[in-house]
Amino acid sequence: MNKFVRSLAVAASLALLGGTAVQALTVYSSVDEENSASILRAFTEATGVQVDMVFLSSGPALSRIEAEQNNPQADVWFGAPSENHILAHERGLTQGYISANADGLQDQFRDADGFWHAIYTNPLAFGVRTDILAERGAPAPTSWADLTNSAYSGLIQMPSPQSSGTAYAVVLTLREIMGEDAAFEFMRELNPNIQTYTQSGTAPSGALSVGETPIAIQFSPGFLKLKDEGFPVDVVFPTEGVGYEVAAMSILNGAQNLEDAGTLVDWMTSAEGQQALVDAKTYFLPVRGDVNAGEGVPSLDEIELIAYDPAYASENRQRLVDRWADDVLGQ
Amino acid sequence: MVKVNKAARQLKVLARDPVLVALIVVIFSAVAIFVVYPLVKVLIASLQVRGVWTLETFGQLGERRLYRSAIVNSLSVSTLVGLLGVVIGYIAAFVLTRLDVPGRRVLHYLTMLPIISPPFVSAVSILFLFGLNGVVTKQILGLQDFSIYGFHGVVASQVFTFAPIAYLALRGVLASINPVLEDAALNVGATGWQTFWKVTFPLSLPGIASAFLIVFIESLSDFGNPLVLAGAAFPMLAPQAYLEITGSFNLSRGAMLAVVLLIPSLTAFAIQRYYLGKRQYVTVTGKPSASASRIVSPPVKWALYSIVVLFAAIVTLFYGVIVIGAFTRVWGFDYTPTLAHFAYVFDVGFNAVTDTLIIALITTPLSGLLGMIVAFLIVRQKFPGHGALEFGSILSYAVPGTVVGIGYILAFNSPPFVMTGTLAILVLCFLFRYVPVGIQSGVAVLRQIDPSIEEAARNLGAGTLTTFRKVTLPLIAPAFFTGLVYAFVRAMTAISAAIFLVSANWNLMTVQILNQVGSGRLGVAAAYSLVVIGIVLVAIVIIQAGVTRMTRHSASVKV
Repeated sequence: MNKFVRSLAVAASLALLGGTAVQALTVYSSVDEENSASILRAFTEATGVQVDMVFLSSGPALSRIEAEQNNPQADVWFGAPSENHILAHERGLTQGYISANADGLQDQFRDADGFWHAIYTNPLAFGVRTDILAERGAPAPTSWADLTNSAYSGLIQMPSPQSSGTAYAVVLTLREIMGEDAAFEFMRELNPNIQTYTQSGTAPSGALSVGETPIAIQFSPGFLKLKDEGFPVDVVFPTEGVGYEVAAMSILNGAQNLEDAGTLVDWMTSAEGQQALVDAKTYFLPVRGDVNAGEGVPSLDEIELIAYDPAYASENRQRLVDRWADDVLGQ
Repeated sequence: MVKVNKAARQLKVLARDPVLVALIVVIFSAVAIFVVYPLVKVLIASLQVRGVWTLETFGQLGERRLYRSAIVNSLSVSTLVGLLGVVIGYIAAFVLTRLDVPGRRVLHYLTMLPIISPPFVSAVSILFLFGLNGVVTKQILGLQDFSIYGFHGVVASQVFTFAPIAYLALRGVLASINPVLEDAALNVGATGWQTFWKVTFPLSLPGIASAFLIVFIESLSDFGNPLVLAGAAFPMLAPQAYLEITGSFNLSRGAMLAVVLLIPSLTAFAIQRYYLGKRQYVTVTGKPSASASRIVSPPVKWALYSIVVLFAAIVTLFYGVIVIGAFTRVWGFDYTPTLAHFAYVFDVGFNAVTDTLIIALITTPLSGLLGMIVAFLIVRQKFPGHGALEFGSILSYAVPGTVVGIGYILAFNSPPFVMTGTLAILVLCFLFRYVPVGIQSGVAVLRQIDPSIEEAARNLGAGTLTTFRKVTLPLIAPAFFTGLVYAFVRAMTAISAAIFLVSANWNLMTVQILNQVGSGRLGVAAAYSLVVIGIVLVAIVIIQAGVTRMTRHSASVKV
């Protein structure tokens, strides 16, 4: 009964819409304001679709979409980590749409039934000051294992798992690669090479820029930015693999402008849309292997990505952080 | 029995003055709610895990080596910083008040500069100068493997930050020692060294103890310098407490570490108050007797002088670094002049500037007034609970800021007092945290003033409040000034308590500086620091002018 009423309402509003002028695409964006504005501007220029953007960070966006589910006010939720889009799908807030361009994305960057597609990804990476290492006669690291080299004693900065989600991603990555005990043994061995565990997940790239540290570990945008601005910085994705965060988008149930919503998903997953991420200097990594983030930066095909279970990650956070504090910091 | 009678008698006298009774009741409850209650909450939280009473968190002190080394590290840093700070402060105070040397005024201001600066100035300067890519270590000395991180880095930065506080505390003490005493010792044949150890040093011992206490507590609760300079292998207590609460959302562990922080500070406070307090030989009147000490020979004099000049030179160097850092693109990489960092402060970060100013402007007059009222009550009035009020109102002086901050979020995040995220919580925190300095200088000055002047006003028919406003307040203007300046400076520069209380609505510049340092945007942090210093300097001039006017009006009642 309820369903019937709702479909009637949808049919009625569609009929009404048919007679009116073209309505702008309404987007709830959880990508930071500056970057989402420039990405969506590029979209409008490329396709002629007008966009109304409302900036909402991921938590508030999800609760607002949920509150509005009987009378949806937006067409697309743009940005926010893929876990949130999985949640939205489970709560029946989004609808499937398989983009023709989805074939260009690896499996972890799209939902098999098209409930969400990735916009960009930020893998963990090493930022390396090539000039400082060369001066010291130290080799550039290419893998996690390389980092314990005694030539790097006190020369590496990474965030602290006690305060930073980025650092927690490092712990989870190493756990996936080596197994838990070996991962903690590795981090113990790494400790003498760590200059300081920073409080914020973006501090290491700052230290890298002023030459305070020659090797920094965090998500890649900070390093890509430095490289682009002309700092002698190399962005290294270690050979064993790296964890990553994925920003995704999905089309909301009851979207009034379904056609344009599909256009946005198509464009964003196309080589052209992905290139726009690079051109707009967002420093996000494109999710298509055929789009390069910039000169000297490996494309996604060449990076080994390591996935971990988000549910496991949140349930074990306190335990793993405590173990890190005991085994590594308090050793 | 005698005591009860006395209390009853005091109450009877009080009953004749309802305004005074109301005032005492209000101040009593305020101290109970905003000083004592948060501390009780910290204690309770440290003994509870998810609502169950337990000693589990304290058990972790024994189990977790991280906590044990944090305690040892923090205590050894604080003790050494306390000692070095007092030595430097004492030398500076001695040279600048007792010796006839050139440039005393300039040296005085330079030595004081770190007090009115936001935290991180020295930590950031030290990184710029002595870091891996530091100007001194790398570019001048060509060192490859020098590391500033760890014990020595934190100690160096904290000594620089806190020695000026010791200097200020000792200045009044040394200035008030009557040189006649030293001269007498010299005349009966004592050497300069003997005179110092037998006369000057014992006379200044209470001042030294209280200076050590202040520096010790400041160092213990400081987490700005450790956060930047402690490095990977040197965990410390205050940053750990901060990380447990803001990073892991583990309130009971944070509260437990806060209790651990509280124990050494309260012990030091108790020793200072009840042991040395009784041996107070010198009254701090703030009236320096202009006197050149004769106990040092010229070589010693110039040696001490050169230490002071060296300290002032380091201050100048550090601030020079901050100025250059604020006006150039990337320190150590690209020295192109730019205003971009200031543009960021006045564009993206301007809310924090206005918020901080609003908070400081509300806190300052309230704090100045409250300090004088409490001082007046303590010195001039007798009522039951007199001693408790005095102790309660200066208690927060001995409590590390980290503990106060944690106590405030615990106490004022749930009924009956819900204030988290408001302007009120920041103002109240600053008010009760920094009023003790105003109270103590008020008490000191008030004790020097003959109560007969006030009694005269009372006899002529003035009420307690009128007497306070028209007679007492003008007389204690210098103490009032100290209270105002201190309240303003701390509202602009404090961080260890405030970091727990800021919100999206009310943010502070110091917290912004922490965030900028945390994200590695050192240029923006430097620009923020200069803005803070500029505002504080302007405010001191304005407050000085205001207080001078107030005292000029009352020149007729001057004794």
